[in-house]
Amino acid sequence: MQTALSVLVDSTLITFVFALAAIGLAIIFGLMGVINMGHGAMLTLGAYFTWYTTSAGVPFAVAVLLAACGVGLIGLLLEHFIIRHFYDRQFETLLLTWGFFLVSTEIIKIVFGTDLRTVTNPLPGAAHLGPIVVPAYQGVVALISLGLLVGFALLLFRTTVGIKIRALVQNAEIASLLGLNVGQAYKLVFVTGSAAAGLAGGLISPMLSVDPYIGNVFLVRSFFVVIIGGIGQVLGGTLVGSFLIGGSETLFALVSGQVVAQTIVFALAILVLRFRPTGVLRAE
Amino acid sequence: MTRSIVARPGAANAGLLRSETAVAVVVFFALALLPGVASGYVVYIVPQYLLYGMLAMSLALLWGFGGILSFGQAAFFALGAYAMGLAQHWDMAVNPAYVALLISIAVGGALAGVVGYFLFSAGVRDVYFVLVTLALSIMTEQITISQSDITGGYNGMFIPRMSLTFGDASLDLSDDVPMYYTILPLTIGIYALLRWVLASRFGKVLIGIRENEDRVLSLGFRTPLYKTAAFAISGAIAGLAGALYGTHASFVSPSLAGVLFSTQVVVWVAIGGRESLLGSLLGAVGVAALSNYLTAITPEYWQLVLGIVFVLVIMAFRGGVAGALGGLTAPRRPETESG
Repeated sequence: MQTALSVLVDSTLITFVFALAAIGLAIIFGLMGVINMGHGAMLTLGAYFTWYTTSAGVPFAVAVLLAACGVGLIGLLLEHFIIRHFYDRQFETLLLTWGFFLVSTEIIKIVFGTDLRTVTNPLPGAAHLGPIVVPAYQGVVALISLGLLVGFALLLFRTTVGIKIRALVQNAEIASLLGLNVGQAYKLVFVTGSAAAGLAGGLISPMLSVDPYIGNVFLVRSFFVVIIGGIGQVLGGTLVGSFLIGGSETLFALVSGQVVAQTIVFALAILVLRFRPTGVLRAE
Repeated sequence: MTRSIVARPGAANAGLLRSETAVAVVVFFALALLPGVASGYVVYIVPQYLLYGMLAMSLALLWGFGGILSFGQAAFFALGAYAMGLAQHWDMAVNPAYVALLISIAVGGALAGVVGYFLFSAGVRDVYFVLVTLALSIMTEQITISQSDITGGYNGMFIPRMSLTFGDASLDLSDDVPMYYTILPLTIGIYALLRWVLASRFGKVLIGIRENEDRVLSLGFRTPLYKTAAFAISGAIAGLAGALYGTHASFVSPSLAGVLFSTQVVVWVAIGGRESLLGSLLGAVGVAALSNYLTAITPEYWQLVLGIVFVLVIMAFRGGVAGALGGLTAPRRPETESG
């Protein structure tokens, strides 16, 4: 019973970490259809910015917000100078965002060095909820992750900006005929997605040791989360996808090794991609 | 005489092929003479670059001519190398290295064929195919790490240099010169084979798929089968290159299957020129040689420059160096759009 509970807690927490890591991609890829292979690099940048500012004495929460702003700004530059010229060419954006990964990884190595960096856990200790023990920081991150998902879903479905973005997603041409500034809306979405990735990178940084490739752990997984959950399903899709990609890994790891579990999950993800290319939650 | 099935590439393209043949003859001739004028490290390392070039050509077939990008070529390459390493320990009547080469071709081809058919037959879109191949290379890396009883895990595996046997005669390839003259002809052979494949009816259909898959499909060609075959050929060549790499380097480790090496191949091919086999081959040789040389001097900045060059090539020079020199790949685009 005790182990069953702790497995449940573990897999829930991991689900939320994966969801957090994938939110930025769910926005950029899920809404705009841009294959952002630089998503991992954005997470890494967020982690490094957080490490840099916290070691300069900035409080953790502020550092994470700064990281989000910083990566958002980088996203703005990337979109403005490169990506916006290639929206109609998905394949080129895939390669260009991979180029962004290559370049930003090298810049990280030059600026921050290649040593492993650690960000101090701002909330050590654990919360005891009856028989359940939840590490405090992971618990807070899960809540933030859920809050972000709900927030983005509300933004998308309950606000004027959200209507505009949904119109853009449905049919950019007609949306622009109706007076929507398509270029600006794309820019807004891309920058929001980048900032979300930066935020996620910052929040994840105390859980792992930070190295120049830390974000790549989440790159393919985030894509699978978004595809399997269902493209464009920001709230439900991301959660379901995160559980299937992240949470289930914990469950498989009970009966097999960690590495085998990961391989099984990837194989299952490829099966879903083959048989339900629109994702688990989408009906069409 | 082959009947023209897909609209023939323009006359300029035929000119490109003729001039490419001339350049290829000169390049291969120069490479054949190299051990005569150079020795030591150069003779040791050039075959390794040529094997990278072979890997690059396997991607060029798929990406440059078929329009299908794979981020997983390193998976086949690494499997080939492991096959070579494992086979050397088998006790067989025939030369185990020959068996290993055949196995590496078969494993690369079969894995690519199965994965390719599985995805292409369902019409999985090209961008998703990239993700699956990326996952394939991560999975291969993970499996080689976890199966450490067989593969040596993180520590990798030592592989003895193979020897060539002809009946009773045998030639040990542990010296660099015989190794050089084994790998160079094989590289030329693969180049010639791919040129032949591309000139065939199959190659024309493949180029047609790159230009407009729906139209080729509506002409009655089962495009998923053609794409599967292209991926299988590509995987088989990558496997062969990997097996030779393993025995040349005498070592293989899981990072050979990894994402970074996998996408390195994409960078070579993009810079060399994805629509030219020779361009891809020389792109790999050139970038790998430069990397090796400049990494000693300025490792970080060189990688940064390489990344920036890659971005510029994708943004502005679709044909890479080969296209820029030939000046011939650019006019092809508008041609397709109009007809």
